[in-house]
Amino acid sequence: MIDNVIHAAFVMTTPILLAALGGLVNRIAGLVNIGLDSMMLAGALLGLIVASQTGSWPAALIAAAFVGGFLGLLMSLTVTRLEANEIIVGLGFNIAVAGLVRFFLKSWYGTSGTLSLPEVAMLPRIHIPVVADIPVLGAILSGHDPLTWAAWLLVPVTAWFLARTRLGLRLRAAGAAPQAARALGLNPLNLRDASTVFAGMMAGLAGAYLCIGVVGIFNEGITAGRGFLALAAFYFGRNRPWATALGALLFGLFDAVQIRLQGRGLPAELVQTLPYVMVIVILTLVAITVKRARNKGA
Amino acid sequence: MALAATMVLASVLGTASARAEDKPVALIVSQGGLGDQSYNDLGHAGFQRALKETGLAGKPVESKEVVSQATEILRRASDADFGLIVDLEYAHGEPMLEVARDYPDTKYVILNQVREGANIASVLFQEQEGSYLAGTLAALVTTDTSIKGINDKPVIGVIGGTKSAGIDKFIAGYIQGARASNPDIVVKVAYSNNFGDPAVGLQMAKAMIEEGADIIYHVAGGTGMGVIQAAREAGVYAIGVDTDQDGIAPGNVLTSMVKYTDVAVETVMKDYAADKFPGGQTLSLGLRENGVGLSEMKYTRDLIPAATLEKVEAAKQDILSGKVKVWNVVDQGYPDFMK
Repeated sequence: MIDNVIHAAFVMTTPILLAALGGLVNRIAGLVNIGLDSMMLAGALLGLIVASQTGSWPAALIAAAFVGGFLGLLMSLTVTRLEANEIIVGLGFNIAVAGLVRFFLKSWYGTSGTLSLPEVAMLPRIHIPVVADIPVLGAILSGHDPLTWAAWLLVPVTAWFLARTRLGLRLRAAGAAPQAARALGLNPLNLRDASTVFAGMMAGLAGAYLCIGVVGIFNEGITAGRGFLALAAFYFGRNRPWATALGALLFGLFDAVQIRLQGRGLPAELVQTLPYVMVIVILTLVAITVKRARNKGA
Repeated sequence: MALAATMVLASVLGTASARAEDKPVALIVSQGGLGDQSYNDLGHAGFQRALKETGLAGKPVESKEVVSQATEILRRASDADFGLIVDLEYAHGEPMLEVARDYPDTKYVILNQVREGANIASVLFQEQEGSYLAGTLAALVTTDTSIKGINDKPVIGVIGGTKSAGIDKFIAGYIQGARASNPDIVVKVAYSNNFGDPAVGLQMAKAMIEEGADIIYHVAGGTGMGVIQAAREAGVYAIGVDTDQDGIAPGNVLTSMVKYTDVAVETVMKDYAADKFPGGQTLSLGLRENGVGLSEMKYTRDLIPAATLEKVEAAKQDILSGKVKVWNVVDQGYPDFMK
């Protein structure tokens, strides 16, 4: 039972974590990406189509990352070069991509809403011998797909990248002080574009995960607002990769718990609010702790 | 004054040119359009059958902006001298009220909801009756270990899209049917809170399968696709809803609780042709009218013992004869077993 909850929690976390890490880097470089959901949706659709056509999951992931990155570039150029409002452009992308996806499904596949294709290459699951049989630890470490591993490995990598590499520091400069960055001879707009392309690629992978890592079919509602949960996760984490990952994990964990708490005598409506209520509770606790620590220091 | 005179003139001309019942029929196709192999195609099939049998003229109306342009589409169809407008689009309920008032001589049909108006006929389906049969079948199959993928635990599940009377109508019927054929049955109920998220549907179905459920009914639209997928992966069974979903995962969809939209469209069109249009009334199509029922079970019929199928048929006869009354959450509120 507990093993199943843990495993489901990781499955529900991966797409949010991937998109949140992308959004985090994007925000650090100075752009709040409201359009993550649209890039996720496009990545989900293309990932499924390529996985079915080629029978290769790496090809599907590359295609999903590509389409997500391409949408990210378009969005970024609209914001950095045409000076459009990032919130409006992000919302516009969400609406436009949802419409295009529906149109594409209808005109190419003659279906509405759901796309089910034959011979979809799903992500393989990595079973670690011995460890898999240990309770709890087995559920945490074994039976996951490569994308889940990649998402978690990217957490320390992102932290290191932002703190220790030249490019990471330049991205931070582009976001925090674009004028200063320009004075140093950097081009903050180019840096910002690059970060949005990265965010788009990560969101595309998150979408592909839903289609070829979880269900094996596409539905126009498959992202179910997870792009916005990712947004909440990196706001929750205040741009720190580990805290952001914790935020994503909380969403995943409470979703997995919520699913299993239903039908145990508690009203369904109340149980379904659990993930969101818990996030508010934890945010409050974090804020109180930070404030106390600050007061003590002063 | 001049306006009133024109209206009198117009109505005189109207009656002189043709009786309303000879005027052609329009079928407004909903989102998804014709060719969806589902709701719209089913409605269109009934439309074509009725045209052929009654000799009426008519044509389907398709539009890309069927929802955003609701009022315009309805008005255009009304201006085009159709006598009867059958509307498959759910979102047209509200705009129809306004348009129908302006065209008192045109008749309108709306499905799956009740709209007031002397020239509007509403059609409801008795989904709880079909769901009762789905529950009966599920409860009989879930302890029959001779069937592939079935364990000996009397546990089945149902996943609804949202917690509301419209969805619980299906669920209550399902539970009632299951309990009638096995009083010890455990029916796990969960709600996805979303009609378009197959990932969460799959996770919910998996959680139920872990707890011994081997048949899961979904009343959750696109989320239900994940339920069917979970059943396929685990080698157990899902039950489809609204249209015949047996072919989505052949052999892993035990049956589907089908709403026969074609029967609904055909029924009202024939009434219209016979000058008996049920304006201002609500038609309620259940098992008796063939408005709801289980699918033909093309892929699973051979898996199920004949005795089981006979019991399901007997349950159907009990409902038809009035011996069994299936609970309707929308009309009667919640039954004790769901409180």
